[in-house]
Amino acid sequence: MTAAKSPRRGPAISKSARPRLRVLGTEITLLEPLREQAQRDLGIDISFEVLDFVEAQRKAAMQPESFDVYDQCFHNLDIVWHWRAIQPIDTQRIAQWGDVSELTKSGRLRAAASVGRGDAPVKKLYVQPGQALGRRPSRYISMLPTVYNMDSFVYDPGVFTGFDASQATWGWLFAEQARGRLALVDEPAIGPFDAALALEALGLMQFSDIGNMKVPEIDQMMAILNAHKREGFFCGLWKTAAESVDFMQSGRASIQSMWSPGTGAIRGRGIEVVEAVPREGYRAWHGGLCLSSCLSGPTLDVGYDYLNWWLSGWPGALMSRQGYYISVPSAVRRVLGKDEWGYWYEGHAALRDLPGTDGRIVVRAGQVRSGGSYAARTSHIAVWNTTMDEHNYLVRRWTEFASPGPL
Amino acid sequence: MSPPPARDAAPEKRYDLVERVVRVNIVSGRLRPGTVLLEGPIAELVQTSRAPVKKALQALEAERLIHVFDGRGYLVGPPHPGLEPQRVDLRQLGLDIPEDIEAALRSRGSWERIYVAVESAIASCLAFGEYRMIESDIATHFHVSRTVVRDVLSRLQERGLVRKSQTSRWIAGPLTAQSMRDRFELRKVLEPMALVGASADWDREQISQLRIRAEAARQQTGDTTFSGSDDIEAALLQCTVLKAPNAQLVEFIQQNLLPLNAANRILTQLGLPSDRVAIDEHCMILDLILNNSIEPAAALLRDHLTMAEHRSIARLKVVAVIPNPVSFAPYLIRV
Repeated sequence: MTAAKSPRRGPAISKSARPRLRVLGTEITLLEPLREQAQRDLGIDISFEVLDFVEAQRKAAMQPESFDVYDQCFHNLDIVWHWRAIQPIDTQRIAQWGDVSELTKSGRLRAAASVGRGDAPVKKLYVQPGQALGRRPSRYISMLPTVYNMDSFVYDPGVFTGFDASQATWGWLFAEQARGRLALVDEPAIGPFDAALALEALGLMQFSDIGNMKVPEIDQMMAILNAHKREGFFCGLWKTAAESVDFMQSGRASIQSMWSPGTGAIRGRGIEVVEAVPREGYRAWHGGLCLSSCLSGPTLDVGYDYLNWWLSGWPGALMSRQGYYISVPSAVRRVLGKDEWGYWYEGHAALRDLPGTDGRIVVRAGQVRSGGSYAARTSHIAVWNTTMDEHNYLVRRWTEFASPGPL
Repeated sequence: MSPPPARDAAPEKRYDLVERVVRVNIVSGRLRPGTVLLEGPIAELVQTSRAPVKKALQALEAERLIHVFDGRGYLVGPPHPGLEPQRVDLRQLGLDIPEDIEAALRSRGSWERIYVAVESAIASCLAFGEYRMIESDIATHFHVSRTVVRDVLSRLQERGLVRKSQTSRWIAGPLTAQSMRDRFELRKVLEPMALVGASADWDREQISQLRIRAEAARQQTGDTTFSGSDDIEAALLQCTVLKAPNAQLVEFIQQNLLPLNAANRILTQLGLPSDRVAIDEHCMILDLILNNSIEPAAALLRDHLTMAEHRSIARLKVVAVIPNPVSFAPYLIRV
């Protein structure tokens, strides 16, 4: 798709054409059924530009004139905010701001639960005096919270025989059974956390704060990963859900980083994988929507319509079918129906086969969601995906590690 | 990039060297009385810029070895009635340029040229990783001696842009959040203290003028690569903190600032929007100073530094989306 030619203005709205909105993001949320439903519900034309995680962030940061709405994650916020690519969102224009869940707004579901290391979304949510982002509530926010989830890893129970699922630990990523058959996600603010959790679980490393690693810790972690790479421990790295499915389906990987839609897809193909509930806790992430700093006038109004629509129920229900929670669950509950709500949110056994986002079956009757209910899973967060202080340094080191060829 | 630092060690100033050349040739008679001396041709002859030539000629005039006339430039010799200006091509005169002076001038020119080039090359790579340099590589690249290169690198080391590893290799980078934090921690301890100490010695008029300038800069809108806040900050420090009577303290503060300023320039040059919010903080500090509320001004300076630290680290993070440049200077070796 081509962006409007003149920089720093939204697309011109002609009298005869419908309003048009350009959304930039990733495969996590930019699904075709969503786009079509939004067009119908809002009476506008919408285009989706789907890029991989790193490219989406870069384009958003450096070309704010190329999108109207940016759909990615809270751990991308530091980057796009400080490049001045996005504008503050007025919560007074968000009809359901009051219904957004406590997890998002305060960092935890219940007072007793731990917040988890790293950037819980609340730390980057509110615009502070001096244009910083922080947790002190204010009228303006940086990103409208939408979907979120807790990730771990999946493994092939046929390879990891004798491993007690109830004792699962991130350390299994580097177990002997994983040798030559481990795949990690290739995203520098996500993959390193999977690795770090594993190394810490094994006692090979001790981070002073795993959510904000220091340079010597990054050096040590990368040295261990590079050594494993030289030994052929990894079968590869993946960037899309399709690639992650392919690794497990082909048998090349027997254990790997995996995200909910990938897990659903692979189970839908009849392949048995176990989604671990690591005793150390999950790696969590939170998605959201931002408005381009170039947006103004009528297109800005359309942008707010789109943001509000996302919290209205239908989009969250669709997202539930790939295992994602939504920041306004009450609206979703009305749309989802009892059976689906029961499985995805309440951790009950599925009463029937359940569909994914494309209608194909991803859950068999009788299955229980790994980790149980929403309340149980969200209380068990080890770390949030984060853009750490040494992010620039980590990205360069990770990129070297991820590049093909020997070290 | 910043101008190269003045060389204040044993080597003579360029204007001294130029003055000596002209003097030697006047005394020996190669430059006869009445010969017209112009800045441009002399500068070309001795291969310097015109500034040191101008100064040299002024010094010689003060000694009455040359004099002004009603044409451009100077005439050799003291004023003499009937002395006709002789306009000659200096290059035809076979002027004597003593070898030591010639070598000194040549190495002075080289030094600055290389300093600027190496500083620029290193600054462009710091955000992207760790690099090492070998003196002989740089010497070969610029066609100069290793002595000149070593001197340049030592100066860059003083400015915090390079360092020596445990194995005595020259290393640059990487720019890290931790290194910035360390510098800011020093700033927060030293600068408010110096501010208080300087209060007896600063120039109120100068500070008032700065407040006016800061207000004008704050009103400026629309420029996304605005670097005015960097200038205002530098000026603020100059007329307050750096006026402290404790010369050691002032030197420490200046040394500490060098790598931070270099990092800041790098980030701005990479296209990052500059820190506009800082100007509001500067204005508040200046207001407190002008109101003689010195301790509150020092406290506010500390707060400003805390916020500046956060902003600097945030700016460093966002550099991550800029891909590694395709080529660096050939003498920079990725570690």
